[in-house]
Amino acid sequence: MSGHRVRAITRRLLQGFRRDRRTLALLFVAPIVILGLLGYLMRGSTSAPSVGIVNEDTGPLGAAVADSLRHSTRITTSDVSAADADARLRDGSLVAYIRFPPDFTQQSQGGNVAPEVHLEGSQPGEDTPVIQALQQSMISLASQVTGRTVRFAPRIEYLYGGSSYDTLDYFGAAFVGLIVFFLVFVITIVSFLNERSQGTLERLMASPLRRGEIVLGYMLGFTVLALVQAVEVLVFALAVLKIQNHGSVFLIFGMEALMAIAAVNLGIFLSMFARSEFQAVQFIPLVIVPQFLLSGIIFPVSSEPKALQYVSDVLPLTYAVNGMRDIMVKGADLGSPGLQLDAAVVAAFAILLIAAGSATLRRRLA
Amino acid sequence: MSDTYAVNLDDVSKSFGAFKALNGVTLRVRQGEIYGLLGPNGAGKTTLIRLICGLLEAQAGKVTVLGQKMPNVSVLRHIGYMTQQAALYPAISVEENVSFFAAINGAEEGVREALELVQLWDRRGSVVATLSGGMRQRCSLACALVHKPELLLLDEPTVGIDPQLRVQFWDYFRRLAAAGTTLVVSSHVMDEADRCQRLGLIQYGRLLAEGSPADIRAQGGSRNLEDAFLALAGSKGS
Repeated sequence: MSGHRVRAITRRLLQGFRRDRRTLALLFVAPIVILGLLGYLMRGSTSAPSVGIVNEDTGPLGAAVADSLRHSTRITTSDVSAADADARLRDGSLVAYIRFPPDFTQQSQGGNVAPEVHLEGSQPGEDTPVIQALQQSMISLASQVTGRTVRFAPRIEYLYGGSSYDTLDYFGAAFVGLIVFFLVFVITIVSFLNERSQGTLERLMASPLRRGEIVLGYMLGFTVLALVQAVEVLVFALAVLKIQNHGSVFLIFGMEALMAIAAVNLGIFLSMFARSEFQAVQFIPLVIVPQFLLSGIIFPVSSEPKALQYVSDVLPLTYAVNGMRDIMVKGADLGSPGLQLDAAVVAAFAILLIAAGSATLRRRLA
Repeated sequence: MSDTYAVNLDDVSKSFGAFKALNGVTLRVRQGEIYGLLGPNGAGKTTLIRLICGLLEAQAGKVTVLGQKMPNVSVLRHIGYMTQQAALYPAISVEENVSFFAAINGAEEGVREALELVQLWDRRGSVVATLSGGMRQRCSLACALVHKPELLLLDEPTVGIDPQLRVQFWDYFRRLAAAGTTLVVSSHVMDEADRCQRLGLIQYGRLLAEGSPADIRAQGGSRNLEDAFLALAGSKGS
């Protein structure tokens, strides 16, 4: 063991980093960006989910609880009619509505209150603040109004999902798409970079091949691989893990294919900005992790701080994840406007990247 | 008149930022000849070849190749380009590499002939990553000539290969030239210069002299090409 020789290795390593400004920047900027984003997501002025209130109570309790809920910071409330409530839950403008039945005050005299809580249910994280807010308002008020302790037993109904759903059922839908997206992206960016570093790209550019032909050829090649992978992931998710699925398997596959094509083109496009495989891999914390955090997989977009919601709204992965959930949890078909929008955004993103990939190809050769 | 030349560079300049890689180069390659591009490392040989095949665009002057002003995609079909490093796909076989370059040039039928020329037909199934440096270089040459280009640009094709293989390469080149192909071969090895019909000597991005090996010797006042080159370089450089 020679300290001198060990030092030589250490020094050489640091010398390399000194010149690779980008790696240095990544090493020190990326943790702040990612942690900062996480902190903002979890502690930032999280916006309160929209909850509808249907008050049919003939007694005073319903109005009192509704008033208390109106002042809750956990949720934003609006009064809705019983007729509208279901439709608004379905179109996504409400994450839940609470209904106080006509005999609500009477129930409380008997010591039991059972408000109905109707939850949209396609995203698990959204339920908690609704139940918590209701519970808080109920417990203090019910005893004040009735003068005795009452048992709070809300009747919870789910539009989608529900008690038969476990965590994997909720996250599985999003992850099925995400795994394909992520792996295809990594493979594409590295192999396109190889094309550059082994000198074959220079040969291709001196051949009659057009830029668009190169990008399209790459896209098809990796898409074939990605589709086989998508089938495998899907079969494993549905047959082995038995993730609940209410939609068409072909639609899931279609959405996965769109995500794969987008990932291939993202890989080709970003490879233009990397000089080594090392730098290519650095795009993962910069491009993939923030998208992952903001796509609504773990933190529902509607509960993000307002500023981050705008960011989520322009990220393609948000639409991809939403589309996968629409299909698998809500059982949406091609007639659903929500799914149409999701698919269109992912497809448009893929097309935009094909164009961007072809346009940047020439510039980086010289 | 320019159509009698395969390559015609007219007062061409190319800079990369402040660095002048080529500075007013005028040079002509006749159809069917082997033209040697000689000069030390960093003289501008690779830049010149990239200008000829349209990978770079000249800032001043005119580059005409096979009668067309470059860059021009339609001419590329008739050009073969062997890059300095053996640019191949390491994970696939020799034949798969050559077939790929044949396919993008629309010349799938030439694969066997190209592999036989460089004596790799028997090794066609070998994965490129397992080949020796010399075999890779031969495979790279096969990829460059599989579509029977009218003009073959070879950027230091004999760098790093043993003397035996070098002799073989020059044998291939002569056979190609005899079949009517124009070859531009860059090198910094002077003993290769004698095998060319005409030479262009470049240094610091300028053409020092042009002519047959005998002409160059006469211009440099020496019987030895290397001495002639040094004499010419010295007189122009001062």
